[in-house]
Amino acid sequence: MASINAQILAIDAGGTMTDTFIINDKGEFVVGKAQSTPHDESVGLLQSAADALTYWGTTVEESFPNLLAGVYSGTAMLNRLVSRKGRRVGLIVNKGMEDFHRMGRAIQSYLGYSYSDRLHLNTHRYDPPLVPRERTRGITERVDVFGNVVIPLYEHEVEPAVLDLLDQDVEAIVISFLHSYKYPAHERRVRDMAKEIMKKVGKEVPIFASVDYYPLRKESHRTNTTIIEAYAADPSRHTLEVMNRRIQEKGATFDLRVMASHGGTISYQANELARTLVSGPIGGVVGAKYLGEFLNIKNIACSDIGGTSFDIALITQGDLSINSSPDMARLVLSLPLVAMDTVGAGAGSFVRIDPNFKSITLGPDSAGYRVGVCNPAGGIDTVTVSDCHVVLGLINPDNFLGGEVKLYPELAYEAVKKQVADPLGLSVEDAAYGVIDLLESQLRNYLESMILGKGYSPSQYVCFSYGGGGPLHTAGYTKGLGFEDVLVPAWAAGFSAFGCGAADFEYRYDKTLDLNVNDGASAEEKLMAGSGLQQSWEELMEKVAHEFERNKFSSDKVDFRLFFRMQYQGQLNDLEIESPVNRVETVDDWNQLVASFEETYSRVYARAARSPELGYTITGAIVRGMVEVAKPKIPEEPLYGEKPPKNASLGRRKVYWKGAWTEADIWEMEALKAGNRIEGFAIIESPATTFVVPPGFETYLDQHRIFHLKEIVK
Amino acid sequence: MPTYERKMIEELVDGKLSFRQVHKILSSFKDADRFDQYVSILQERVPYDDKIIMPYGLHLNIVAKETGERIVKCDCGHEFCEYTTNWKLFANVYVRDTEEKIMEVYPKFMGCDPKWMHLREFYCPSCFTMLEVEAVPPGYPFIFDFQPDIEAYYENWLNRPVPTP
Repeated sequence: MASINAQILAIDAGGTMTDTFIINDKGEFVVGKAQSTPHDESVGLLQSAADALTYWGTTVEESFPNLLAGVYSGTAMLNRLVSRKGRRVGLIVNKGMEDFHRMGRAIQSYLGYSYSDRLHLNTHRYDPPLVPRERTRGITERVDVFGNVVIPLYEHEVEPAVLDLLDQDVEAIVISFLHSYKYPAHERRVRDMAKEIMKKVGKEVPIFASVDYYPLRKESHRTNTTIIEAYAADPSRHTLEVMNRRIQEKGATFDLRVMASHGGTISYQANELARTLVSGPIGGVVGAKYLGEFLNIKNIACSDIGGTSFDIALITQGDLSINSSPDMARLVLSLPLVAMDTVGAGAGSFVRIDPNFKSITLGPDSAGYRVGVCNPAGGIDTVTVSDCHVVLGLINPDNFLGGEVKLYPELAYEAVKKQVADPLGLSVEDAAYGVIDLLESQLRNYLESMILGKGYSPSQYVCFSYGGGGPLHTAGYTKGLGFEDVLVPAWAAGFSAFGCGAADFEYRYDKTLDLNVNDGASAEEKLMAGSGLQQSWEELMEKVAHEFERNKFSSDKVDFRLFFRMQYQGQLNDLEIESPVNRVETVDDWNQLVASFEETYSRVYARAARSPELGYTITGAIVRGMVEVAKPKIPEEPLYGEKPPKNASLGRRKVYWKGAWTEADIWEMEALKAGNRIEGFAIIESPATTFVVPPGFETYLDQHRIFHLKEIVK
Repeated sequence: MPTYERKMIEELVDGKLSFRQVHKILSSFKDADRFDQYVSILQERVPYDDKIIMPYGLHLNIVAKETGERIVKCDCGHEFCEYTTNWKLFANVYVRDTEEKIMEVYPKFMGCDPKWMHLREFYCPSCFTMLEVEAVPPGYPFIFDFQPDIEAYYENWLNRPVPTP
């Protein structure tokens, strides 16, 4: 079809399947699937892309030359880490501190646990360390928190340590000393000496000094992150390079970018590749930000229900909030990660009855892609939320994932009866309805408490609902919260991929600082702190510019944004704030920084929580640099009337709702026209998602193919 | 409510179950048939035929005798006493009450001060398996650890009479 103008290629390479999403200039997308090919991921990628394009009756060769951009996100790196299949890394740390890495700061024994398991001590367990003790060596040196050398580097210890690691056949060496972000000379000296030693003995392996990658406070976080760089990220670079070459051979004219955890995309040539470790769930948030900018919506509550979890993120004043020391794969890290909250409740969550209290419990584990008892191929015997959907008639058993997976309502009915309804003495329908009601009220509470916890109210936000399972429950979990508006994009199921395609080409660099300014400080002291911050910004801007130069963007094309982290003196936590000034040169500039900190602090906590008498500390400088890249177009259609076209109707179906069987109108999502208004009870179906409009609600499809959900006020 | 295969419970008894499976057992509701599976595994492994009615320690069980007595019995077959009496009164005891004896099991400065605390090791008189260790102040009475209400357990919780030989 010549009319198809494919624009953006988004790739989600998972452990078993490689999904490609190809988005055209109308915002429509096709999804292709192929088995992943771990030995050479480009094979699976091209097959998957070819599969997607068959829906538009075109081929890779025909479409690739027209594409504007390609973004890769994958779990290969994370899998390498989780399954401990990375490089053999050797570690050099301070002598006497060799054990800190494997001690995991104690917290790594329960990271990533559900609430109940965090309290359940016997479940706590350490994973094997990335670098075992026998490949860790100590070198005498010590630098204090101010960057003073307390014990000089014992250079004579470097050679035996490096030779010893080489004897153990390490494939990479990581160096991480205490307070090196403050005084990098020792790490760099060891790095350079090691290079010479390796050259001399003719056995060279890559070497990673933590200051060259993540010059940040907290040695466990910094060391883990640098190890991951050597262990999992650097080995993936080659894979990405090959993939890039293959798609260019097929006619693509762009360089493949990789989704990074801070919400932007980076090149596979980036120095700090570990930033791309987690990318999957971020796509949706980035997509919401992009759509929000287009629709001029500043405050967005993003909610995504997938098979296993409910993810929430807030976009406030057009910006994502960033967590600068997150944990991932049960490791503490110093990577900036889009702050997201996850509840372990999704469409695949298991439903059980507490034998003691006879109450319904949801999750925290889930059937994931195996759906539930209604899908006998999945081999699941515990009831899931999806089984309840099937019992109630909310999802069409013959049109699940476009009919690819056949569901058996009678199996779901039997299982819900035996496992949930009979023990509770309820009818099967009431039991299933109770499960859905419980899920929705849990999600509602969670969403509300997260927004309130950040110092806002839902009425200041527009809620975006997406993910395969999101639109099923949108009405349920937004009911009564009073959002300004509730939006369900028609491409909800592919929204994460859309987000990857919409992500900025952006590098972000962080640096730890310690600039203290007392209350009532002199102008001189303020200027001194200001120039310290300014100097760091310049250093980071240079780093960002350098990364863009590798991709042939000169620094005048880069749009820089400056941020800083500030706290009251003596506090343990800080806030990340965008600088109101482009340079800090005068006392007035400094005062503006303080004023925006005070303003943010009173919004996040309370006005009365401000304590300016303690003085201020700048704890970090951040620079983000962006360049313009092609983005997917948001659809634009002429408005038709309010009445949906006849051919969009798929008839009526019996659905159980609030204690009775009722009839719901069934609509085909793709056939609805812009401007159509549908009153509940209605179910709007598409191959990948189901949008429920319950009684008392109505929805309106706007010219951008976004549904607006409203409660009907009587 | 889950129920697990016998093999899984056997591996649990032997400490060979993978952590993933242990975690599953820990974080799920408890399996109702655990006690029966567990006791039947123990029964299969002891060299005697007396019926175990309740496990009492790592190597101790309460067994039902023909006479109607319920005896605390070691894995090797040694019989201590009726379960209503403290079995420790019939065991061999080794008391670590000097610094020298404590330093056999602890490095210097890491063990207890014998003026404040003794270690009492209880052994089976027949097979010399260590059955229990008490860490108590000098002169402290032997602790009677556990006096189970066997009737209530069987009748009110398992809903059946206590087994007889």
